[in-house]
Parts: sequence; C-alpha cells; structure tokens
Amino acid sequence: MRLRLSPQTLLVLDAFLVRADEWKYGYDLSRATGLKSGTLYPILMRMAERELLETQWEAGEPGRPPRHMYRFTPDGLRFARTSVSAATSGGLGQVALGRILSGLIGSG
Amino acid sequence: MGTPRNLAARLLRAIVRMAPEESREWALAMLRELDFIDGEWAALFWAIGSVAAIVRHAACHWRRWMKHETKEDGKMNEKGKKALGVGIGLFSSLMLVGCAFAILRIAGALFPGLDIDHLEWTHILTVIVIPEAIFVTAAVLLWRKRGPVAAGILTTALVVALHVVAHLTLHW
Repeated sequence: MRLRLSPQTLLVLDAFLVRADEWKYGYDLSRATGLKSGTLYPILMRMAERELLETQWEAGEPGRPPRHMYRFTPDGLRFARTSVSAATSGGLGQVALGRILSGLIGSG
Repeated sequence: MGTPRNLAARLLRAIVRMAPEESREWALAMLRELDFIDGEWAALFWAIGSVAAIVRHAACHWRRWMKHETKEDGKMNEKGKKALGVGIGLFSSLMLVGCAFAILRIAGALFPGLDIDHLEWTHILTVIVIPEAIFVTAAVLLWRKRGPVAAGILTTALVVALHVVAHLTLHW
C-alpha cells in the first residue's frame, strides 16, 4: 500500500479528511485543493488502485448524467490520518507548504 | 455552449471512446464533471489536463502489462525486442505528428480570425519543421542506447520528408 506522499497528494488527503464520511466530486476536490485535473486525477487513480478510495457513480436525478464520487475506505482513512499528521508534525510541514504553494498558484 | 467548452466536450468524448478499458471509467468521470465547471476556458483546461491524466494512466497500465508479459514469456527473443522498439519509435513519432496537427486545428477553431488553417507556413512549421527537428534530435540521443526506437523515429521522419518532397514536386 505504498503511495508517494508528494505535497499534492497530501493536499488531496487533507481535502478528503474534511467530513471524511461524505462522498466527494472530482471538480469540488480540484477547487478545494487548487490542483488541476491533470494532477488531481492521477492521484485519485493511484489511491483507488491501492484501495484507499472507494468510487461510486451517483444515482442522479432523472435526465441528469451521473457523477463519479469518491470516499475513503477504512484503510484509506487510517492512512490519510497517519500521513497528514506525520507531515504536519514533521519538520517539513509539507501540507502547510502545499497549501501555501496552492494559494500562490491560485492567486497568481 | 461556447467554442472552448464545445471543444472540451468533444475532446473528452473522443478520449472516452478511445481510452482502454481500465481508464474508460475515469475518462467518463472527467467528462461528467465538465457540466459543473464555471467558465469556458476553465472547461477547456480541465479537458486538456484530463487527457494528460488518461494518457499517463493508460501508459502505466501498458508498461505494467509489458513487464508482466516479458516475465511470463521468460526472455523475449532479440528480434521481438527490436521489432517492439521500432514499433514504439514509429507509434510515438506518429503520435507527435498527430498532436501537432490537432494543435493546428484547435488553434484554427479557437482563433478563426487568424486564418491559421489556410496559412501554408503554419502547416509547414507545426507539422513538418518542428516535428522533424524533434525526430532528428531524439534519434541522435537514442541511437546508442535504444537503437530500434531511434530507427522507428527516423522511419517516420523519412516518411514525412518524402511526403513533403512529393507534395512539392506535384504542386510547385
């Protein structure tokens, strides 16, 4: 269950930890993290392949195409909590750094 | 629906059709998000990023499959390895020419005022000069370590060059 913990991955894990039991959409995650689709989706794909994320098609309203949703598996939730707390308490402060970088990219 | 969003939808629909089985669900997920994106250009950038993500995902699967197949077969014979290398060179260089052509068409659709589609020099520069320069550079760099791939790339370069010569002979 190895996942490279880049600042972008930590941002995604962090975004999933907000109301972790709720299903989340790709575009909402992109807005929450400031990551573009080309960065966000490979992370989601890797997380799903390692069974850290479960995916589901939303049973949408009639006439509206369903959306793909994502949520932590129990393993994923444990992994995210450990990784994010290790990163924030560690000397690197990668999540904070990631947030600053993402803010800079977003505002720039 | 404006032109950039329209292009984004067409691009993602094409990717959904072309994506391998293991990536198709993700491509469809990205397409479905398009309706919720504010802004025409944001939709187009979303689609371009999504295409990159799907290509990477498909390439990873393909690489894994290749490794697995090679392990299963024991050692692939020398001829097979060379043929595969030439195939990779041909495929990647043809993809580059295809992408250059697609960029030209997209630019033509996005900026109709510039009349890019009807300017011959833009075609020559984008589809011939730049790709040929990349092919020659890549072939020189790869020649020692990946000879068959370089040979595949050079074959495409030669075909493109012959196409240009034939075109010039016939039309000028």
